[in-house]
Amino acid sequence: MTYFRALDPFPLESADHTTLHEFYTRLGAGTLTTTKCRGCGRSAWPPRGFCAECGAAAFDWVDLASEGTVHAFTVQETGLPAGFEAPRVFAIVKVDGHRVFTVLTGAEPAALRVGQRVRLAPLRVADDPKGNPRWLPAFEVV
Amino acid sequence: MRRVALVGAGVSKFGVRKATYRDLVWEAGKACFDSVPGVKPKDLDGLVVGSVMPERTAFQSHISSMVAEALGIRPSALSARTEHMCASGTVGIRYAYAFIAAGLADLVMVLGVEKLNQPVADEAVLNMGTGVDREWEAAFGLTAPPCFAFAAQRHMAEYGTTEEQLAMVGVKNHTHAAKNPSAHFTKGATLDQVLGSRMIASPLRLFMCSPITDGAAAVVLASETRARALTDTPVWIRGTGQALDGFQLSSLHEDYAHWPALKRAAQAAYQMAAVGPHEIDLAEVHDCFSIAELIAYEELGFCHKGEAGPFVAEGRSDYGGDVVVNPRGGLIGCGHPLGATGVAQAAEVFVQLRGEAGARQVPAAALALTHNNSGMGEHVVMIYGKEPA
Ligand SMILES: [Zn+2]
Repeated sequence: MTYFRALDPFPLESADHTTLHEFYTRLGAGTLTTTKCRGCGRSAWPPRGFCAECGAAAFDWVDLASEGTVHAFTVQETGLPAGFEAPRVFAIVKVDGHRVFTVLTGAEPAALRVGQRVRLAPLRVADDPKGNPRWLPAFEVV
Repeated sequence: MRRVALVGAGVSKFGVRKATYRDLVWEAGKACFDSVPGVKPKDLDGLVVGSVMPERTAFQSHISSMVAEALGIRPSALSARTEHMCASGTVGIRYAYAFIAAGLADLVMVLGVEKLNQPVADEAVLNMGTGVDREWEAAFGLTAPPCFAFAAQRHMAEYGTTEEQLAMVGVKNHTHAAKNPSAHFTKGATLDQVLGSRMIASPLRLFMCSPITDGAAAVVLASETRARALTDTPVWIRGTGQALDGFQLSSLHEDYAHWPALKRAAQAAYQMAAVGPHEIDLAEVHDCFSIAELIAYEELGFCHKGEAGPFVAEGRSDYGGDVVVNPRGGLIGCGHPLGATGVAQAAEVFVQLRGEAGARQVPAAALALTHNNSGMGEHVVMIYGKEPA
């Protein structure tokens, strides 16, 4: 079927489509990174091309820890968008002081608790229309 | 600034409708014009349409002009569409209010409309993902329920709020909706039914959530001079406030049971109206999920932080209590056709403050509040009065 952007739930991650492509390249290699502003030195989550604090538009990529802790979670059992399997564990994970929205893969919902340690587990999703791999920053229980 | 009043209001039937987007516009437009015989479409000098996703659900943009033509309105002072996700309707009312208060328009219709249900049900859920950040949230399959579930989990852990208390919001609003023929659900619900309904996102069950609904609503706002000429019972806009904490979950208050933006929006509206929360007779609050209504009690000042669970359990937000919350049935009972919701809240306030709400009339209602949100960190509050000041 012809590719239609309006039916594709995933970001277009390659250099053809986003100035933040390096984030996804590094994620595919197993590293979580974000942007650090060259103007004021603050790092942000998620990565951004314009600093909300000082207004600068220049940044460097910095690595974040590969582990974090669960700040909040919920288990969605029904009502997920087409293409997303239930049950799905949505979580906010604290990594180096940032709150990262994510899903926890392979988690046993009943055993989850706030404060639990989790680690980065990049999730490969559907390739983009040119066949490039795409990744999302998911986590798994340590 | 000039005084501004509501002089007309009407709603379509809410539900899974066998109707097009335009059919819903006609139905709400007709009901609204019927409520104010002195206003014909060509008398209006402005139109604002609150609508979130007709590009996806009706393959249609260019919405304000389309609605103007459908209703025979020829705007000469204001024509606009507002898109602010679930708060689009009230954001539209604020535009119309500001134009009239400033003297840039005299008589403006605000119409909210959404046709969410699709031939293949899954598409409606897919579309709801447009309301959160595509790249960093929706790509994971996020829609609204998990966001509010984070708030509910936190409220339960921090304040001891129970599943029963969350369910009581569903019972109350389904019970209210049973007296509202325009509501999506009109059969009521018991505590057992709510607690036994299927889990959506823990701890929020089906009957604690607003459904996917088609519908439209319209109100007419007028300058004081025009309002007094058109009706003996205008409903006055007394105050308004809007505030945002953030868009993504990563940038909201770290404690998801705290919604500082709602408190700020409410304070702005109370200050402008020169009234306090304990003077409000009825409130239409944004119960997209039951937890949202509980947190709204707190941030609006109806009770202290953490006390919302007992507040609903003791009936203080129901008829005979401190303030009647969601007499029309709320989003849980009426359904939530995004852009239409805020306008339908105003339409309810219009009939309540005129004493025309029939079986669901709040006795001696003189002061009303509406609260519309578009996420846990984005809130709009309006205060309306039977008297202008
Ligand atoms: Zn900076």
